[in-house]
Amino acid sequence: MEYGNTAIVFMVVAVVSCVLGLSFFGVYYLNKIVDQNAPEGGSVRKT
Amino acid sequence: MHLIPQSSSHFHLLVSIFPSIGLIFVLGFYATAFAADNEAMKRSCLVLFAILGLLAIPTYVSGDRSMAVLSQDPKISQDLMTTHFGWGITSLALLVLTGATALIELWRSRRAERLSNGALHLVLGLAIVSLALMAIAGETGWEINHHELRLDPATQRTPQAWSHVHIILNHFPTVGFVFALVVYIAALVMNNVVMKRAGLVLFVICAILGVPTYVTGAASMWALTGVPGISRAAINAHRDMALWTLFGLAFTGVTAWIELWRFRHLGRFSNRSLYLVLAFAIITLGVMAETGHRGGQINHPEIRVATDALPTDPKAGWSPAIESLINHVIWFVPWQTVHFFGFSLIFGTALVVSLRVLGFWKSMPFSAVHRILPLGVFGVVMNVFSGMLILFADSSRYLNATTFAPKIALITIGAIAVLYFSLSERLWTVKAGEDAPMSAKWVAAVVLLSWAGVIMGGRLISYV
Repeated sequence: MEYGNTAIVFMVVAVVSCVLGLSFFGVYYLNKIVDQNAPEGGSVRKT
Repeated sequence: MHLIPQSSSHFHLLVSIFPSIGLIFVLGFYATAFAADNEAMKRSCLVLFAILGLLAIPTYVSGDRSMAVLSQDPKISQDLMTTHFGWGITSLALLVLTGATALIELWRSRRAERLSNGALHLVLGLAIVSLALMAIAGETGWEINHHELRLDPATQRTPQAWSHVHIILNHFPTVGFVFALVVYIAALVMNNVVMKRAGLVLFVICAILGVPTYVTGAASMWALTGVPGISRAAINAHRDMALWTLFGLAFTGVTAWIELWRFRHLGRFSNRSLYLVLAFAIITLGVMAETGHRGGQINHPEIRVATDALPTDPKAGWSPAIESLINHVIWFVPWQTVHFFGFSLIFGTALVVSLRVLGFWKSMPFSAVHRILPLGVFGVVMNVFSGMLILFADSSRYLNATTFAPKIALITIGAIAVLYFSLSERLWTVKAGEDAPMSAKWVAAVVLLSWAGVIMGGRLISYV
């Protein structure tokens, strides 16, 4: 089956957006959990 | 039920890998116990050494009976079997001695209420010598039945070295997983933090080792294509299950790594996450057992039983269907693009974390840059998945490329080295304005060079 350029570009944008979106959300969510449960003063060590 | 061995040869194939490969993992735990000076972990390792010593008995008995059966097969060399028997019995005798010494030390320490350093080092020495002898015994054992390893390389579609590596490598995630599960369950029961972390680390390492195991397996498929007596349909059935194993390993490895990362920041584990890792691990082990059985059926006619119906259609299953699908440009190009984004995430994250460790941006404490590590790990997951799909598209060409094997080796090294960033106590305490320890700088250099090498190796595939 032959695919047009528009279909290929659409698939690239759709797949990349889904995969990157999931990754960025995962990182945001994990950091949020750490922030909510961090010991007093946060989990990042101060100077 | 077909996984339960019904002959001595089948039982020998299963049980014999535990003393040898298992010894490597127990030695790894033992070294960790010494480094962390954790008494409970040292005692657990002594128990494991004793169990391995006990496993020497069924290994010997099944091997002896297996020899009696295989000696009637004209295709099996008697000389090879005699050599394997000699090395095997020597290494097993030493393993029994290691296990007995570990058991005596456990018994003695209950009365003395502390472990003796001398005895612990004696067990370590005996275990190392046993392992060296077992490596030779294992190598001579594999040669007995794997005649394809001696075929003329000029007639093969991929070098037989891939098959050889796959035969050895596939036992690491499988046996390692069993040991990780034993240690992990013991850690949950004993509520020992160091053992929980050791179990999680081993799950991650097994998941990383799943990548070269899968790739060498794909290469072995081509090396075995056209070899008399080997069915392509049986290979595909094994390949399908290996695909599910890779997914299982990925789920277990990523959840285990996230828990290690979270522990670093919070200083405690979440029970819910720990049991989620356990659930993934148990399911993955079940899938892995079936994968191993199907793999064994490819080249071991002696383990097949009458009720085991071997597949006959080489085009049946998931793998040939994915192969056909990914060869359409509309599926290949998006996943290839994801692969490039994945490398951007991995290298970007590795660059920031490694440069901080090497002495750049000292105004930031290490714990701040440690926060972005999940982005790199998600990049690895993206690339394992997209890379596997790309490999499906034209595996024979990729596997014969000069830079493909170094690329896979560097992925393994780079991914395992990244674990250090979430494990090192000294690195975690590096505050703003402070310099990282020298050992951490070496690891950072290894991480950077490995991932740079992976990208270069990948790009050169089409040209070298």
